[in-house]
Amino acid sequence: MSTGNPSYTNPKPCKHLADYKLRHGLTGYRSLQKLFKTTPNGRTSVEKPNTTMPRCNSCNGFQGRLYFCLICSTVSCSDHTLLHNQSENGHDVAVDMERAELYCCVCCDQVYDPDFDKAVMSKHIMGIPRDKNGDESIGERLVKRRRLGSGVVEEELVDLSKSKQLVSMRDRRAKSCYPLGLRGLTNLGSTCFMNSVLQALLHAPPFRNYFLSDGHNRETCRKRSVDRLCLPCDIDAIFSAVFSGDRAPYSPAQFLYSWWQYSANLANYEQQDAHEFFISVLDGIHEKESKLSNRNRDNGDCLCIAHKVFSGQLRSDVTCMTCGFTSTTDEPCVDISLDLDTNNFSPKNIANKPIKSNENSSISTLLGCLDLFTRQEKLGSDQKLHCRNCQEMRDSVKQMSIKRLPLVLCLHIKRFEHSPVRRMSRKIDRHLHFPFSLDMTPYLSSSIVRNRFGNRIFAFEGDESDISTEFEIFAVVTHSGTLESGHYVTYLRLSDQWYKCDDAWITEVDEGLVRASQCYVMFYVQKMLYHKANEDLSCLPISPRRDTFLPIAGCC
Amino acid sequence: MRNSINRPPTPVAEEDQDHQPTLQEIINIKLIESGEKERLKELLRERLIECGWRDEMKSLCRAFARKKGRNNVTVDDLVQVITPKGRASVPDSVKAELLQRIQTFLASASI
Repeated sequence: MSTGNPSYTNPKPCKHLADYKLRHGLTGYRSLQKLFKTTPNGRTSVEKPNTTMPRCNSCNGFQGRLYFCLICSTVSCSDHTLLHNQSENGHDVAVDMERAELYCCVCCDQVYDPDFDKAVMSKHIMGIPRDKNGDESIGERLVKRRRLGSGVVEEELVDLSKSKQLVSMRDRRAKSCYPLGLRGLTNLGSTCFMNSVLQALLHAPPFRNYFLSDGHNRETCRKRSVDRLCLPCDIDAIFSAVFSGDRAPYSPAQFLYSWWQYSANLANYEQQDAHEFFISVLDGIHEKESKLSNRNRDNGDCLCIAHKVFSGQLRSDVTCMTCGFTSTTDEPCVDISLDLDTNNFSPKNIANKPIKSNENSSISTLLGCLDLFTRQEKLGSDQKLHCRNCQEMRDSVKQMSIKRLPLVLCLHIKRFEHSPVRRMSRKIDRHLHFPFSLDMTPYLSSSIVRNRFGNRIFAFEGDESDISTEFEIFAVVTHSGTLESGHYVTYLRLSDQWYKCDDAWITEVDEGLVRASQCYVMFYVQKMLYHKANEDLSCLPISPRRDTFLPIAGCC
Repeated sequence: MRNSINRPPTPVAEEDQDHQPTLQEIINIKLIESGEKERLKELLRERLIECGWRDEMKSLCRAFARKKGRNNVTVDDLVQVITPKGRASVPDSVKAELLQRIQTFLASASI
């Protein structure tokens, strides 16, 4: 789907289409709407209600492109559209069934009509299922629209109950052509650890969408809870400021103050760890949101926005080396901390015999770290575990895998090594190669467990999971310097363009620079959410739905 | 003579109702009904984008349109010209992957 070509103009309709429009107006399009079917990917097709497989009226063929006559609903294949047109006077315009696109049988060419596309798109939006928690009133949505900033040009007040109305808002005050939501954060005294993580959170698509669609309403929150300390409220304020269109650097002072109150032990101007800060913020959001409402799914999953976005499940299998009995535990996680796969490491199988590696093991890669994380680890003889089968303490092998992937995957590289034995800490500066696109399939429990049994085919609970395994990176928090004195910088990837967020300074950078940087915490989001978010960036419509911004083709 | 707007289509000749569905038709129906066709199409789209095939086709289309003149090109022309080139340049790995998916599907759908 196009993201809005600035030089897009409405092509002139051929005389047959113009004729059709004159005679029938929009009635044909409207009645066709009932037959539109949209896939989650956003592709619309035309489906006749009682047939799975449409066939050409003339030759009964079902292959190739099929065209649906707008006037009499006859289906013709590409060889017979002319035949239909010749036998029926005036039946010139048809619709390509697979693509829901207009076709003129006389000109033998595709034709375009914005009214038709509008008919397709409004059906597209209605097709997306409503979120069950739709307790947002229209009034509140209206308030949020106004709050998005006076820098935004608003059209006349639209009746939001008419879901077909779409308002496109463009930030006309922006001096640069940077996408909306890019704003520097001033350093308030060694707070780059906070700024770097905030930038990543501001652009985590589901997290961003929640706050920008008024998921946490400050007025409601103030009325509901006596406790004035509310991290989500302060985050909401940051979102409003950053997405307001104002490009001057913003000082998240209120948020810093709140966070200090929340995590009093870290309340100082000393340098902190960005990952620790990230965990603490998620904690703060969870605490507040779970107080406000009893948000829990039936299976006990927390529905606060922090967990909804970042929470996944890890599976830990411990196998007794004597009898083979495996005990499994699941643990929730909001991130995965990975050890670096360093040069010293060489792949070994259970018997501790080194396997010859034909890969160049001198480069550390993220996939290598993930392999390391999910490798079968022989627990030391001082770590014997009780085997339920043998009823004795036995040598065991432990293997981690990912049972359920989150929407946003946060990968933390353990670069800070604290050795209690030697009582010293050091930072591992080793460069880590990381991909922009990540497929997590090999690290899922289903893959790991299957491999353990020699790739046998058997059904695995969780196989039918509807979360995809493909992720795209959208933020990298990098660290430079030493353990005591260093600096965090975040690189953001918006619409495949990388931006360096160095406290108050935002600059466009080349992807080579990002690849060469020293990654510390990486944020990956599910591929579909990444692509949806990219389409939202250039053209932010007001959605009648609460949660997601919806991609609209050709609306600019 | 004017035709009425929503006249139902002329019914197809009766003899086609006894027509035995070919294997191809059966497979196609099963693929569509189970939703597998949609998934296969998505997979194919992805693979063809990844390997640069789509961009190649795009530039072929552009070259053709430039040569013939932008206003003298129809979709049908493009489809006719590009299809043989497109079919020929699909990478073997993509073909193999899809074949395998289809075979797996056929096995599971017990055809």
